[in-house]
Amino acid sequence: MIKRFLYSQKVAPYVFVLPFILVFLIFWVYPLGSSFTMSFQKLSLGQEAEWVGLENYTKLLGDTIFLKAVMNSAVYMLCTLLILIPLPMLLAVLINNKFMWGREFFKSSLFFPALTSVVVAGTIFRLMFGEMDGSLINSFLGLFGIEPVKFLKGQVTGFIALLALATWRWLGVNILYFLSGLKSIPDDYYEAASIDGASAWQKFRMITMPLLKPTTIYVLTISIYAGLAMFIESLMIWNGNNSPKNIGLTIVGYLYRQGIEKSNLGYAAAVGIVLLVLAMTINMIQLAFSGLFKKED
Amino acid sequence: MMKKGFIVLTLCALLLVMAGCGNSSSNASSGEKSVIDAGAGEGATELSYWTFVELHGKHFEKMLEKWNKENADRQIKLNVTVMPYDDMHNKLSIALQTGTGAPDIADIELGKFPDFLKGTPQLEPLNDAIDPYRDTIVKSRIDIYTKDGQNYGIPTHVGASVAFYNTEILEEAGVDYTKIETWDDFKKAGQQVYEKTGKYMGTADTSAPWEESMLLAQQGSDYTDADGKPQVNSPEMVKALTMLKDLQDSNVIATIAGGQPDTEEAYGEYNSGNYATAFMPLWMMSRYTNYMPDLAGKIAIAPIPVFEKGMPRSVGGGGTGTVVTKTAKDVQLAKDFLAFAKLSEDANIEIWNTLGFDPVNMKVWDMKEVTHNPENEFVKYFKNNPFDVLQEIREEIKFVKSVPASPTINNVFGTVTLNEIFEDGKDIKQALDDAQAQIEQELQ
Amino acid sequence: MKKEATLKMNEGSAMRVRKDIPLKILLFVLFTLLCGIILVPFYAIALASFKPGEELIRYGLNLKFDLSVMSFDNYAYLFTGDHSYFVWFFNSLLLTVVQVALTLIVSATVAYGFSAYEFKGKNFLFICVLLIMMVPFEILLLPLYTLIFNLKLMNTYSAIILPGIASAATIFFFRQYLSGIPKEIIAAGRVDGASEYGIYLRLILPIMKPSFAAMAILNGMNSWNNFLWPFMVLSDERKYTLPIGLKTLLTPYGNNYDLLIVGSFFSIVPIFILFVAFQKYFIDGMTAGAVKG
Repeated sequence: MIKRFLYSQKVAPYVFVLPFILVFLIFWVYPLGSSFTMSFQKLSLGQEAEWVGLENYTKLLGDTIFLKAVMNSAVYMLCTLLILIPLPMLLAVLINNKFMWGREFFKSSLFFPALTSVVVAGTIFRLMFGEMDGSLINSFLGLFGIEPVKFLKGQVTGFIALLALATWRWLGVNILYFLSGLKSIPDDYYEAASIDGASAWQKFRMITMPLLKPTTIYVLTISIYAGLAMFIESLMIWNGNNSPKNIGLTIVGYLYRQGIEKSNLGYAAAVGIVLLVLAMTINMIQLAFSGLFKKED
Repeated sequence: MMKKGFIVLTLCALLLVMAGCGNSSSNASSGEKSVIDAGAGEGATELSYWTFVELHGKHFEKMLEKWNKENADRQIKLNVTVMPYDDMHNKLSIALQTGTGAPDIADIELGKFPDFLKGTPQLEPLNDAIDPYRDTIVKSRIDIYTKDGQNYGIPTHVGASVAFYNTEILEEAGVDYTKIETWDDFKKAGQQVYEKTGKYMGTADTSAPWEESMLLAQQGSDYTDADGKPQVNSPEMVKALTMLKDLQDSNVIATIAGGQPDTEEAYGEYNSGNYATAFMPLWMMSRYTNYMPDLAGKIAIAPIPVFEKGMPRSVGGGGTGTVVTKTAKDVQLAKDFLAFAKLSEDANIEIWNTLGFDPVNMKVWDMKEVTHNPENEFVKYFKNNPFDVLQEIREEIKFVKSVPASPTINNVFGTVTLNEIFEDGKDIKQALDDAQAQIEQELQ
Repeated sequence: MKKEATLKMNEGSAMRVRKDIPLKILLFVLFTLLCGIILVPFYAIALASFKPGEELIRYGLNLKFDLSVMSFDNYAYLFTGDHSYFVWFFNSLLLTVVQVALTLIVSATVAYGFSAYEFKGKNFLFICVLLIMMVPFEILLLPLYTLIFNLKLMNTYSAIILPGIASAATIFFFRQYLSGIPKEIIAAGRVDGASEYGIYLRLILPIMKPSFAAMAILNGMNSWNNFLWPFMVLSDERKYTLPIGLKTLLTPYGNNYDLLIVGSFFSIVPIFILFVAFQKYFIDGMTAGAVKG
C-alpha cells in the first residue's frame, strides 16, 4: 500500500525533490529565521537570550567601526566591478579573435589562479606585498627608483593588494564566462555589419555588448555578492581579522568579530541581516535597471 | 572512458564514506604525531592541551616524562594542538561556551584572559593545586589570572621587560649601551647610531602596546583607574607617546615590518641588522635563539631607560595562564599535573632551560649553577647573562592591571591608535581622546 | 579591436596573410605578457619552496634565483618530517570525494524531479532554489553554527557536507541540462512498465553522465578549497582539511614557514594535474552557469 503510494506518478516528484525541501527548511529557512530573531536579542552561546527589540540596529547605526566595514565592503565591491567586468570582456573579445595563436593555452593559464585556495593565494599575496624592500612588489618598484611602500598599512595601498588578489583569482574565470557568451553570437551578425561598413568599435558597441548582456548581468550579479561578502581574502592578506586602523575590515569580517571573537551573537546577527538587505537591494535595483534597458534595445 | 571513470569515482566515494564512518567512531589513536606519551604505559589517561606556542608543548613533554616516572599510577599521555593565536582563543572561547570540544588543558594569553573570566568562568579554580607552591612564586603573576579570589590560571614567567641591544651596530656607531640610563641618553645614542650607520636605534611599535606599558609603569600609572575604567588619555600616556614620537621624529626609532618586535617580519628585520634595540619582556630571548641565528653573540641585555633616574626600570609583560577547563576528563589529574609542570622547582628550572623564560619561582634566579650554566643555549647566545640584569632590576618590576577592559584597550591601541600616531602622524592628544571614546563605546 | 575589423573587411586572402602577422604577433605578445604576470606568484612560491623559511621571513617573497640558499630540504621535510600535512591532505581528499559524490547524486535527483514532472508547488520550490543562490552563505554562519551545535554535529564532516548537499547551483545546472532531454524517453519507459524511480535510475542517469563531469569538477574545486565553514566547525587537528591545516601554520610561534610554503605549493599540484587532464570539463563546468544567464 505504502509502496503503491510512493510509486504513484503524483507522489514521485515530491520524493525526488524531498532532499532539497529538507535542506532548504533545515539549513536555510530555519537559520535565516533564527538569524532574524537573534538580531532582536542580546545573546551569547550557551546563555539565556534577552529580548532587546531594535537596540542592536540602533547601536549599529552609531557604530563607527561597522560603518567603516560597510564602506570597505562597498568600495571593494565597486572596484571589483569596475575591474573585473570591462577588462575580462575586452580580453575575451581579443582571445576569441580568429587571429589568436595558442588560444587554449592562454585560456587555461589565465584560469589557473582560480584553482588555488584563498588561504594559499592570500598567503602568497601577503608575502609579495610585504613592506621589506626585498619583497616582490617593492623590489620591482625599486627598479624604477621608488622607495619601499608599506602596502598593508595604508588604506589605498592595502586595497591595491586586495584588488590585485581578486583580479588575479577571478580574471580568468570571468574571461571564460564572457567567452561562452561570445560563442552564442552568430558570425553572420558581424559579417552583415561589415558589409554595412561598420567600424570595429561600432560592432563592439552595437553587436557584442548588447548580445553579451545576459552574461554581463550574470557576472554582475555574482560579483556584487562576492564583493559584499568578501572576508577570507582580507583575513589572509592581513593574517588575521585585525588590520591596522581596520582598513581591511569587511561586513562579514565584522560579523565574525562580533559573533565568533566577541560572542555577541545578537549583534552579529543584526550585521548579517543588514548585509542580506544590502545585497538583495543592490541586486534588485541592478536587475530592474538592466531589465529596463533591455526593453529599450 | 568517462563511463568507467565515473563508476570508479562513485565506488571510491562510497568506500570512503564507509571508511569515514567507521573511522570517526574509533580513531582515537590515528594521529600519533601530536600525542606525547613520554613513557606512559597502557593505563595512562590521555589529556588534550591547546596552545599557541609550539615551545610550550616541548616544555610539557619534558615535565611529562618526570611526572610519568614519579606517578606510575597516574600516568598521562598529552595530546598537544598548536593553533595560531587568534584562532586558538576563538575556538577555545566557543568550545567553552558551548560546553563541547574544549581541551582538558589550555594556554590563554594574558591579553585575552579577562574575556574568559566574564560571567561564570568555564574554568576550574586552581587554588588547591597552587597552594603548596604559593609562597615560592611571584604573587602578582597569579593575581592577573584571578577573579573573586579564585585562581584560574597558572603563570609561566615573570616577563620582566628589558632592552635587547645589538652591540655590533652600537660599536660601529661608537655607542656604549651600559651608559644609557635615561631616555635622553637613549635619544643621543640613537642619533649617533643613525648618523654613523643609517640604522635605527629602536622601534616605534604599532601593533602592540609593549612600550606604552613600560612607560606607564615608570610613571606609576596604568591604562585603567582603580575601578578598572579605561583612562588611556591620561597625562602620563600623553607624556609617554610624546616622548616616543619625538624619538621617531629624530630618526632614533622607526616603525617596523610586522608592527612590533615579536612578529615574523620583525625577526627578519632584526636578523638583517636593521634595528639596534628591542624593548621587550625577557621571553623575547627565545625568539632570538630560534629565529635570529645571525645575531648570536651580539645581543646584550640591559635595563630599559627611564624618564628620570630612580624610576622603576621594568614591567611584567605578556604572559600565558594555563587553565583547566570545566569539561576536563579528569580535573584533579589535570590540576596536579599542571602545578607540577609549571610551579615545582624542577619545572621552574626547566622553564628557564627549555623556554628561556624568567621563572616565577624567584629562588631559581639565585641558583648560579642553573642560571649561569655554560651549556645553556641562552647563556651561550647572549653577550651577558640575563640573570645579572634581572637581579639588578629585581625589586623594580612593576605590573599593569589586567581587567575586563584590557582586551579592548589592547585591540584599539594595536589596530588603530598606535598606527595613527606613528604611521599617520596624527596629533597625540587627539588620537588618545579618540581611543578613549572608542574603547568606552565598545565596552557599553 | 580596430585592426580586427579592418581585417575582417578585407576578404582577399593574400592581403590577409600579410596583414595578419603583425596583429597575430601583437596579440600573442600581449597575452604572453599577461600570462607572465599571472604566473609570477606561482613562480615565486615554487622558488620559495626551495629556500629555507628563514630566508622568506627576512627578505619576503621574491624572485631571486640564488642556488646557494636553495635545496630540497623542504621537500625532504614535507615527505619525511614529523607533521600532520598528509593527514590533512588525505582528509581534504576524502572530504572532497565524499562531498562531491553525495552532492551530485542528491542534486541530480532533485533536478530530475523539477524537470520531469509537473506538480503543485513546483514553481514556488524552484524560486526557492534561485533564492538560495542569491543569499550570501556568510550571514548564516552563526545560526548554522548554533544549529550544528544543537544537532551534536560539531567537529564532524557531516556538519560540512549536509548543508550543501542539495546545492542550488548544481540543481540549476542539471535542470537546464535535463530540459534538453526528450520527454519521450520517460513516456517510453512508462510504457515498458518501469517504475518512476526505475526510469530515473536506468534511463535518465546514464544520459546525464557527461554533465556530471563538469559539475564534479566545479563542486570538487569548491570543496577542495573550502575554508571558512569547515574552519569553524572542526576543532580536532586530526580532522583538519588542507586549507585549515595550512592556516594553522601561519603563526609566529611555530617557525613553520618551511612547511607552509612547500605545503602550499604542493597543495596546488593535484589540482594542477587534474586540471591539465580534464581541462575541457573544467572550462565547461565553470561556464555552465553563465550560458543561460
